[in-house]
Amino acid sequence: MGLNYYQIKKHILRSRKLVIRATNAAASGHPGGSFSMAEILGCLFKKHLKFDPSNPQWDDRDRLVLSKGHAAPGLFSNMAVAGYFPESELDTLRKFGSKLQGHPDLKCPGVEFCGGSLGTGLSYSVGIALAGKIDSKDYRVYTIIGDGESDEGQIWEAAMTASKYNVDNLTVFLDRNFIQQDSYTEHVMPLDKKLESDDLSEMWKNTSRWKTGEKWKSFGWNVIEIDGHRVEQIDAAIKKANVTKGAPTMIISRTIKGKSLEHMEDNPQWHGKAPDSDIVPIINVELDSQFMIAPSIIAGDMTNLENEIKRCVYGRADYIHLDVMDGQFVPTKTFDHLKIKELRSLTEIPFDTHLMINEPVKHIQNYIDVGSDIITVHAEVTDESSFGEIHDVLKQNQIGVGFAINPETELPEWSYKFLSSVDQLIVMSVVPGKSGQKYIEETHSKMSRLNSILRENNFSGYIEADGGVNLENIGSVFADGSRVFVGGGAIIGQGDVRTAIREFRDEVLKSRRRILLDKANELGGSDLVNKWINLHVVGTKQEQIKKIAKETGYL
Amino acid sequence: MNKPIMTDMRSEYAKTLIQVGKDNPNVVVLGADTTDSLKTSNFGKEFPNRFFNVGIAEANLVTVSAGLAVSGKISFASTYAIFLPGRAVDQIRNNIAYPSPLGKKGLNVKLVVSHGGLSVGPDGGSHQQIEDIAIMRVIPNFRVFIPADTIAVSKLTHLMANEYGPFYMRMARSKTPLVHSTSQDFQVGKGITLRDGSDCTIVSCGITVHMALEAAEILQKEGISCRVLDMFSIKPIDNELLEKAARETGCIVTTEEHNIFAGMGSAVAESVSDSYPVPIKRIGAQDMFGESARDQEVPLLLEKHGITSFNMVKQVREIRNKKL
Repeated sequence: MGLNYYQIKKHILRSRKLVIRATNAAASGHPGGSFSMAEILGCLFKKHLKFDPSNPQWDDRDRLVLSKGHAAPGLFSNMAVAGYFPESELDTLRKFGSKLQGHPDLKCPGVEFCGGSLGTGLSYSVGIALAGKIDSKDYRVYTIIGDGESDEGQIWEAAMTASKYNVDNLTVFLDRNFIQQDSYTEHVMPLDKKLESDDLSEMWKNTSRWKTGEKWKSFGWNVIEIDGHRVEQIDAAIKKANVTKGAPTMIISRTIKGKSLEHMEDNPQWHGKAPDSDIVPIINVELDSQFMIAPSIIAGDMTNLENEIKRCVYGRADYIHLDVMDGQFVPTKTFDHLKIKELRSLTEIPFDTHLMINEPVKHIQNYIDVGSDIITVHAEVTDESSFGEIHDVLKQNQIGVGFAINPETELPEWSYKFLSSVDQLIVMSVVPGKSGQKYIEETHSKMSRLNSILRENNFSGYIEADGGVNLENIGSVFADGSRVFVGGGAIIGQGDVRTAIREFRDEVLKSRRRILLDKANELGGSDLVNKWINLHVVGTKQEQIKKIAKETGYL
Repeated sequence: MNKPIMTDMRSEYAKTLIQVGKDNPNVVVLGADTTDSLKTSNFGKEFPNRFFNVGIAEANLVTVSAGLAVSGKISFASTYAIFLPGRAVDQIRNNIAYPSPLGKKGLNVKLVVSHGGLSVGPDGGSHQQIEDIAIMRVIPNFRVFIPADTIAVSKLTHLMANEYGPFYMRMARSKTPLVHSTSQDFQVGKGITLRDGSDCTIVSCGITVHMALEAAEILQKEGISCRVLDMFSIKPIDNELLEKAARETGCIVTTEEHNIFAGMGSAVAESVSDSYPVPIKRIGAQDMFGESARDQEVPLLLEKHGITSFNMVKQVREIRNKKL
């Protein structure tokens, strides 16, 4: 089984957009804490939670307790996407007569806990877990607590109780976003270590500052520490918790409050404030513009691919792009599924397997079995029937369905009917076969042709740019519509992979900021451009955005 | 009156819990390091997997009980009065009373406490809860009982196990005199007329019920016919019975070991003022904290606040002159 990465990502994106829609309609609410836990809830709802929206009280369902109840918009949005009620119902959030109260409430079928008064959800979860044990039920209890609410003594009363009664059917996520209502947690009441400066990034620079995991370990819990925005880490942590016997599991999830909107990220102001209506369309463009960096390891030392994987992990790559070449479809030969099997145990980062082989339909099962998360096959070696077969088997195995076209290939018409369920489209910008080639400039015009076909056919996947992508062209490739960027020589070929990836991200970010300024200007001229810029108050973002605005003549 | 039979509410409660636990496998019992004192640990010996001692952590006690209840259990959570309403009101409100599954009101948790009121004695004012009725009766969805004797304790424990929803029941620390017969029926919101009378009504609860009966006996000798009600169900209160008493006896004295503000007496006054206003005199703790008193000195402590049968007699005599 694959990670189901793209489906989870889409669920998360829809949920985030609903949080914006709902809090905007309500003119109040808590987007910041809804966004910091967005990936956690997305993984739970899309993959791990057992539930039935048509029978919310199903006895054997897993229970989700949102102890940090102010993040209700996040919970309700996930429930809507999961099918509990129509998405339009989010417009009633916090309004008189709505079942979507300001804080989670049993009035809304499917909600398990009335949140609002902080620090109590963990004790409640222990009660549910104990009931499950008494009744020999297999359900699990998943609980989200906040770091701010960890100030409450009752959290630690519950921690002791869960440990005493060995409730191993309880998995708790600490949404460790470092911000509570007044300020940074490490100012108000440190969980790790008191922060002397006003620079939150201090908390990320030196992991020896992190003490929260030790606290929970000392209370007898199974503790797993992850990046709470990385789907694959959340997924792996949940799986580990599921097989842990004799102790409850605490997943310390380090997150960013307001994650995925630059002006909200790490900004305490967005703890409990709704976005203005004129800003919402710009926000939606920003949310639609999430991107991933996928280093291609064949650009490295082919005799030591294990080490190349380790470099990708160190570099914090989003995917690892695996170019499988058979020496027939392309002249070069790289490796096959057996190598991927060896590499799989080295990391949880999604494997983005790109099959440049003849007759992929004959080999697809091998690549599924070795643990690929996304598998892409080429238009040149598939037809409607074989791609249909590949498409179905990948979907069944929760693997992202990828389709690739070479520079000289146009999207075949037979493929249109699949486009609405294809997860990833690779648009080759070099002739496949070897790494180190130059980006083919005609790809830009090809992209604009493609975009209209994709729109007409309801493509909702991600476009991956593969071939010759570098710091000079990545901004324009992003502007063309690509959201995943394969980096060969430009990343793996560099001495410091982490720096190379960060520079890739920075360039994409610049391009994205420009697009968002364009949007602001289009919608509201210089007033809205200024308003948008002024929302960015944390760190040096505002200066950087102003610089772009000056270059484009908006300032 | 004959010398009353004294029995222990905590023992009766614990014994009854084992009965209801046998009748219903969904009954669970929770404690907070007072399970020997309340004798609920006996339930744990009988049903080890349905008994949870969460330590000295009352907030946790309340909320864990709520989690069990929302999952289909009938939670009985017990400790001393001073440590529940006085300490964990947020959890009581937000985790038990407020969450209402569709079609229901609150979660199925029974908070049963001992050591209510001034009669706690030697532990002193820090342990004498005289505010709990005030706290509990303003929380929507809660029903509030103060039983007068062990017969009431046993019957009300059965009643709570069988009736869905949040309840608060306050017991006394010391042994209490039996005032009810074993055939007495107990219903939510129904007071009990223990003695009929036509000149005045004493409305009482808990340990003051027996005092009220003594007072009525004394008054009888003076030719004053005094009605005595056991208003064990403080919320909901028996409006009908109170209106009848007001109409038929024309004046009311209330007695309780709780602050005179916002306790049972206040509930009676609220009810009667809505239905048939008559003069009412409230006897109770005089808006002062309690203090230590050895068991044999507890009557002195109660006397300091006027909680005696002699004061009831005195108040009845006086209020009769104020009838409208």
